[in-house]
Amino acid sequence: MAPESDDTRSPGAGSPVPGPGTEVPGPRPAVEREDAELAIRVVGLTKSYGQFVALRGIDLEVRRGEVLALLGPNGAGKTTAVEILEGYRDRDSGEVSVLGHDPARRERSLRARVGMVLQECAVDPYLTVVEALTQRAGLYDAPRGIDEVIGLVGLEVKAGSRIKTLSGGQQRRLDLGLALIGDPELIFLDEPTTGFDPSARREAWDVVRDLCAEGRTVVLTTHYMDEAQALADSVVVLAGGRVVATGSPDTLGGRDQGMSTVRFAPPAGVTLADLPLPDGVEARLRAGFVEFAVPEPTTALHALTRWALDRGEGLSGLAVERPSLEDVYLSLTGDGATPGEGP
Amino acid sequence: MNDVRVAAAQVGYEQKAYWRNPMAAIFTFAFPIIFLLVVGGSAGPSRVPGYTLRYDQYVVVAMLAFGLIAACYTNLAMVVCTRRDSGVLKRMRGTPIAVGSYIAGLIGSVLIVVAILTVIVVSLGLAFYDLHFPYHPFAVVVTLLVGIVTFCALGLAVTVLVPNADAAPAIINGLYFPVVFISGVFYPLAQGSVLARIANWFPIFHMIRALVSGFEGGPGSGLRPGDLAVMAVWAAAALVFSARRFRWEPRRPKA
Repeated sequence: MAPESDDTRSPGAGSPVPGPGTEVPGPRPAVEREDAELAIRVVGLTKSYGQFVALRGIDLEVRRGEVLALLGPNGAGKTTAVEILEGYRDRDSGEVSVLGHDPARRERSLRARVGMVLQECAVDPYLTVVEALTQRAGLYDAPRGIDEVIGLVGLEVKAGSRIKTLSGGQQRRLDLGLALIGDPELIFLDEPTTGFDPSARREAWDVVRDLCAEGRTVVLTTHYMDEAQALADSVVVLAGGRVVATGSPDTLGGRDQGMSTVRFAPPAGVTLADLPLPDGVEARLRAGFVEFAVPEPTTALHALTRWALDRGEGLSGLAVERPSLEDVYLSLTGDGATPGEGP
Repeated sequence: MNDVRVAAAQVGYEQKAYWRNPMAAIFTFAFPIIFLLVVGGSAGPSRVPGYTLRYDQYVVVAMLAFGLIAACYTNLAMVVCTRRDSGVLKRMRGTPIAVGSYIAGLIGSVLIVVAILTVIVVSLGLAFYDLHFPYHPFAVVVTLLVGIVTFCALGLAVTVLVPNADAAPAIINGLYFPVVFISGVFYPLAQGSVLARIANWFPIFHMIRALVSGFEGGPGSGLRPGDLAVMAVWAAAALVFSARRFRWEPRRPKA
């Protein structure tokens, strides 16, 4: 776990690829040096299935201890990307480093440090919860405690039950427990809460936050924007096999600099022309509400509320809205961004 | 060292899963035992042409072979196809387990099943059909071991041909039933008949003949190297085919 000899290299060199001058003499090591900052580094990753181009050259960096959410519509390449990182699929080209390993080599030393929840819930139906966890724990040198993990995923009452008697959500939670039993540094979660009810989702989110608090790195794919908003430190949006945006959930796609929409119900008898709007701003009436968009709403709001107070009236339903993560996502992955054969 | 410990633990989990799944136990145990009691019990005292065993005694040996094939070929192939389709195999592959430990767990579990089956079927033969305890127990054990390897290898190989779990029973049984029927499992083949000549190409007939030899009081070791060699060729071909084409993941478009 300790980034062994990292301090022997020039600090702040930036590039984790050892330069020719710093190469250790002797036979080339099978494992490249682990980066102290990054758990995952991907450069120019491509993958095709026959005629279908799934990944058209993506770059990706995941810092240690962060939660990275991979978003994108179906067919965007999320699962392909994750499965290449997990070692299930070979890439066509590009550089991939996961905890300092090339996952395509499928080294056991890497698999021992990575946990994963795949889209298919995969557990032997005839074993009990405790048996399945004990079996999996036996494959690792220093697994977490069985009871501890059962508590973590909230399956105490089902510990002695055969897996086939578990509900779909309970099986999914067991799946998560199996991913955690080996005490992994890096965890891949492929749509981990699909099919969960709202309270089960909140519980799963708490588990992910705890993992993160313990310093583990989490890569998750999801269709739910609220999940990305709640959990992710950074977000990568894929569409048509390309990265179309990266950033934190709050800044993605210029979300923090986007237009704010001001909305209110106008007092009776007031027309749009009567309103004190900033120059060049066009308001419109929609479903009985006045709506206008401005880059920065403070001045406009000040003028508006003073005008209303002077008239001795309120602005009922007054709201200022920033674009939601979902709005940004939809604009990023909408018609403009999807395949359509780019350059 | 650790891989051996993991393999031993896997045998335990495979045994639990096996005995908790009633379908597998029915195919491996109930069918051969019922056939043994019905077919063997309705047979007269006639001898089987070319053998010194009586017909009902021959059926005991044939049912041992039938059960072994159910445990090694049919059941192993079904388990692998089911687990591949549900993603269990894929998931196992993401853990640090050695492939050898996983396969050894499956085969070790099959060994236990065949050992239990052998004791039950032979005991029934001794109790009800005047079967003599094998004159050449070594030959019987060797033949059973070669049979286990051969039919486990064929079980792994056939999974390559199965696209998904729904198609598994049809393909697995469809390939094997015709061979069972012409290989003298339910009735002895007339030597030199057309069926016998076809069956000669497949391993089931040879396994039965080699097993019968161990139960007959002939001279020598009772081993039939020629029959064992045919089985070994099938085993080798199946292993090479599986090693090259085995799939861990369901065949499903991924994006």
